[in-house]
Amino acid sequence: MSETKTLPTEYVSHPGEIKSSLGHTVRTDEMIINMGPQHPSTHGVLRLEIVVDGEIIVDVIPHIGYLHRCFEKHAEHMTNYQQVIPYCDRLDYCAAINEEHSYVLAVERMLKIEVPERVEYIRVIMAELQRIASHLIAVGTFGIDAGAFTPFLYAFHDRELILSLFEMTCGARLLYNYFWIGGLSHDLPPQFVDKAKEFCTYFKPRIKEFNDLLTYNEIFVKRTANVGVLPQDVAINFACSGPMLRGSGVNWDLRRDDPYSVYHKIEWEPKIGKGEMGTVGDVWDRHIVRMREMEESVKIIEQALAALPAGNVQAAIPKRIRPDAGEIYARTETPRGELGFYIISDGSGTPYRVKGRAPAFVNLSVLPEISRGGMIADLVLIAGSVDIVLGQVDR
Amino acid sequence: MGSTGKIIRKKDLSIWQKSYIPEIVKGLRQTIAEMFKPKFTIQYPEERFKPQPSFRGRPVLVQENEVERCVACGLCSRVCPALAIEVQASETPLEKERYPIKFEINMVRCIFCGFCEEVCPEEAIVMSNEYELVFSSQEEAVFGKDKLLKTTEELKDRLEFLRQNR
Ligand code: SF4
Ligand code: SF4
Repeated sequence: MSETKTLPTEYVSHPGEIKSSLGHTVRTDEMIINMGPQHPSTHGVLRLEIVVDGEIIVDVIPHIGYLHRCFEKHAEHMTNYQQVIPYCDRLDYCAAINEEHSYVLAVERMLKIEVPERVEYIRVIMAELQRIASHLIAVGTFGIDAGAFTPFLYAFHDRELILSLFEMTCGARLLYNYFWIGGLSHDLPPQFVDKAKEFCTYFKPRIKEFNDLLTYNEIFVKRTANVGVLPQDVAINFACSGPMLRGSGVNWDLRRDDPYSVYHKIEWEPKIGKGEMGTVGDVWDRHIVRMREMEESVKIIEQALAALPAGNVQAAIPKRIRPDAGEIYARTETPRGELGFYIISDGSGTPYRVKGRAPAFVNLSVLPEISRGGMIADLVLIAGSVDIVLGQVDR
Repeated sequence: MGSTGKIIRKKDLSIWQKSYIPEIVKGLRQTIAEMFKPKFTIQYPEERFKPQPSFRGRPVLVQENEVERCVACGLCSRVCPALAIEVQASETPLEKERYPIKFEINMVRCIFCGFCEEVCPEEAIVMSNEYELVFSSQEEAVFGKDKLLKTTEELKDRLEFLRQNR
């Protein structure tokens, strides 16, 4: 296990020799440890090769690709644009609606379709419900990483309620195939609006409860504050997005800065980390950004439900999807950050090329940067706070 | 980078903080309150999850008056993104003229997207409410007509749902 590895010296925090408290020189050795691919805290099949010097992390090398399913090649081999949607779902299985949203938006912009107002509102409601569901998994599993088991169960309980809303609407609990190009597969069932409102009223006090239980818990704060600090400039240089970026105090949210759907008609604001418990951009900041985003999502859902216009959700679905030759890049804010689809069309019925810009992949790339010099016990927390979904990392 | 914060010494903490008792009590109060709320979990094999009519379980063929509705047009097999369906048409003296002599869905490939149900002109293939699928080999997972056919009686809920939502 103790095979040595040469690293650029600026990365090595302890170059092999440290002084003991009595003034003796102690020789240390670097060791390589494998974490994953089957490890509960890597949140999927991710392998981390960790170079440690004692307890200090010298380097982390993520190895990905265990869940590669050729999404991009698959998309080229479908018989039409519509068929790619179920595969988009499977990129980020924790936030399938948001993936569909991005893809559907790209194709609609290519075809220059005006989508009915009702569809846009329903899409916003669904996307925000999904954002809550996804953040619940993120903060729940993050609690487990920090050693708190109960919040995880609470999170899954509430997520289950959201999944029931989805099941009622489109028939699936995880991979929906709900957003179609130009419309939706089903209209909302009649009892949906009431149930969703009921959920919102139920969920608001739950967030507070969750915060009391986990976020402001003394033990949790001590464990997470000042750990895995991601400075603003590093976050921007690595093209991080989503709660990763906002946790570092950068006020950037595509829902506001590159508006799509009807987000510009709704009052809400992006939440950023302010370093309340430690340094700006630490693990706790990323956690609190997710918690506060859930509150914002509830606000958005309530406003969208109140403003929901009537209409036919399938009116704008085109008979034949055959965009003119050209290319497009459309992006949306998913729970993990900026998800973009770059599509090239050659004028035929199938996409010539589909490229997905996966936020989880980009966010993961900053992991070595923020864990160097930290303790090995904190690595689990840092990896948890990045909130990766391996389906999206590997595509 | 990494942990850069100030070091917390045990001696700086008050006796309350040192014991962590307030935090533990805070957490326990929540837990105990939760104990008296109704249970949310299902004891799975004994109790079963009842899907709503909108649920998309495994696709099945609709059987009406002892014959399948399917006219073997092959649309479902064309639209299936996972290439799970195989249809072979043949002629029949019945009014519909064509019927599938072989209709197979490979349940290992199927991704439960529901496109086949959406595209079928005869409402002959629908998503049932069955979600338990267990196989011990690849061959077993290929469902032929014998396993796919379901009477309209059995599929009443779903057909009713489709009537309202099309
Ligand atoms: S199930 Fe429907 S779509 Fe498929 S072959 Fe039969 S009639 Fe055609
Ligand atoms: S549900 Fe989808 S994947 Fe399954 S058979 Fe039908 S079209 Fe194919």
